[in-house]
Amino acid sequence: MQMDFHYYATYCAAVLAGYSHEDSMEICYSAQFVDCCSRTLLSGLKAPLSAATTQLQLELMNARTDPVGLQDITRIWASFHFLPGDLYAPVKKASRLYKNKVRLICGPNGALLKDTVELARGGSLQAAGIAMHVLADTWAHRYFAGTPSLVVNNTTYWFYELLPDGSERPVAFHHSPGSPDDVDRGVYNGSIFQSSENSIMNLGHGRAGHLPDYSFICYRYLPAWGDYEEIVKNNPVDYSYAFCQMIYALRYLRGDVPVFETGQYDMETPAPWGAEIRRILEKRQPDACADWKALGEAISGREIEDFDLGRYQAEYRRASKREKDDTFLGRFFLAAMAQKSMVTNKIFKSGNLLAGFSVDFDKKGFRGIRDFVKLVEAQRGGRTHD
Amino acid sequence: MTSMKRVKKVLLALLMLLCACFLVADPEDGFYIVALIVSVSLTAYGVRTLLYYFTMARHMVGGKSILFIGIIVTDLGVFSLTTADDPKLFLVVYLLGVHAFSGAMGVLRALEAKRYASPSWKWSLLGGIANLTVAVLAVVAGLFLRSTASLSYLYAATLFYSACVQLVSAFRKTAIVYIQ
Repeated sequence: MQMDFHYYATYCAAVLAGYSHEDSMEICYSAQFVDCCSRTLLSGLKAPLSAATTQLQLELMNARTDPVGLQDITRIWASFHFLPGDLYAPVKKASRLYKNKVRLICGPNGALLKDTVELARGGSLQAAGIAMHVLADTWAHRYFAGTPSLVVNNTTYWFYELLPDGSERPVAFHHSPGSPDDVDRGVYNGSIFQSSENSIMNLGHGRAGHLPDYSFICYRYLPAWGDYEEIVKNNPVDYSYAFCQMIYALRYLRGDVPVFETGQYDMETPAPWGAEIRRILEKRQPDACADWKALGEAISGREIEDFDLGRYQAEYRRASKREKDDTFLGRFFLAAMAQKSMVTNKIFKSGNLLAGFSVDFDKKGFRGIRDFVKLVEAQRGGRTHD
Repeated sequence: MTSMKRVKKVLLALLMLLCACFLVADPEDGFYIVALIVSVSLTAYGVRTLLYYFTMARHMVGGKSILFIGIIVTDLGVFSLTTADDPKLFLVVYLLGVHAFSGAMGVLRALEAKRYASPSWKWSLLGGIANLTVAVLAVVAGLFLRSTASLSYLYAATLFYSACVQLVSAFRKTAIVYIQ
């Protein structure tokens, strides 16, 4: 998904769920910031690098794909953008590594989604924003995995766009980073074919370009892992579910709903705006920011400020070491590390080492990557393990 | 990373260091060792691709292409073993291609890091310039000076660097803490 959904649509969902304009702005800012919080940015802020929630294109091109590098990549992309749908999915006779990769395929309404939303409850607005980003992406990025894998994420020439008039046309993918997609002619950017299993070109939906991120698009294709069974992806419908599930989840985070259950959606609250939401989701445009912004302002009656990457950076830089965790970005970084820690732990416990090792602090004390000391201090008030 | 993978990385690093030392000690004969390493690597890559097909890619839609790549590369590796008489051009192209690409990436990465005010841009730029320098030196040594020894020293330096990276990577921490 893009800024139109992660920022503006998340704002709409937060306001509809009952949050104030100010709180909704913090939630949607955090949801969008997940796509910006790279190591490069963190390094500029002198913030913990393990709080990275994304990797820039050039960071990825530079990233090592040895086991350690792959675990780092997987921790970021599986935790925040491709939340695995079922870590114990049955896979017919295959090697362990193949099973591990297939089990990282992203999907909505998985056990990890419930864990993600529950983790955010009682937490900061930043944690809520991160959870909304993760939730929304489970719908957009379903069928792709947040780890480099040719056997899971590859696509073939068998890729057709289903047009609103009922016709269809083959999707022409080309590799020209920076050039815009041609929605009218059906010419889209995609990563180039790399026969190496762990090539960065095979991360997530890179091979299918930005198609999964467009709300209007419907397509059918043969996923690499699907044993030649075709998948039809209807983004307007999926995005509509994502929107209604965000409202439901945010109501849970506010305490209006006692339990968060997967497969539940709040269809009633956005019903008065249903026609406009459908229109935006189905409108053939690569960027729906203006439409979502107008809708958000109509719902709340307040102006939605444009996303500004630097809005909270000065506050973080100015804060003393002790105060940093209480700043907007400080809370975001802690929530991001908590999410990464939780997802890595669940993947590790499923017997899958693709995201690295996880050490249970209550049982073994602190071990591993030092950045997470900050998380321990925040959650346990600096208490050391005894 | 499992302990076994760490051990493998350390062994690989030691092997690289050994080859680098041999190249520095005897650059003239070492040149043929380099050609041998590259040919064996190609063959090993081909065999690995075949293994990859049988363990993973056979489940993939269109996975047969991996099988064909594996067969062709293995064949190429075995063939190149038999034509190691004049591998100079091969080595120049290899060094040029790998380091020119890495150098360009390093410089681009530095520009991006600078845009984000990240202090790491200087290291990225330094790495990029170093890689570009190796690429230029490969062309100068191989095509203009026609110096076998210089090419061997250059290759030894890159091997030494790769060995260091492997060693650092072998001891990197990969566990993260989970708090219930």
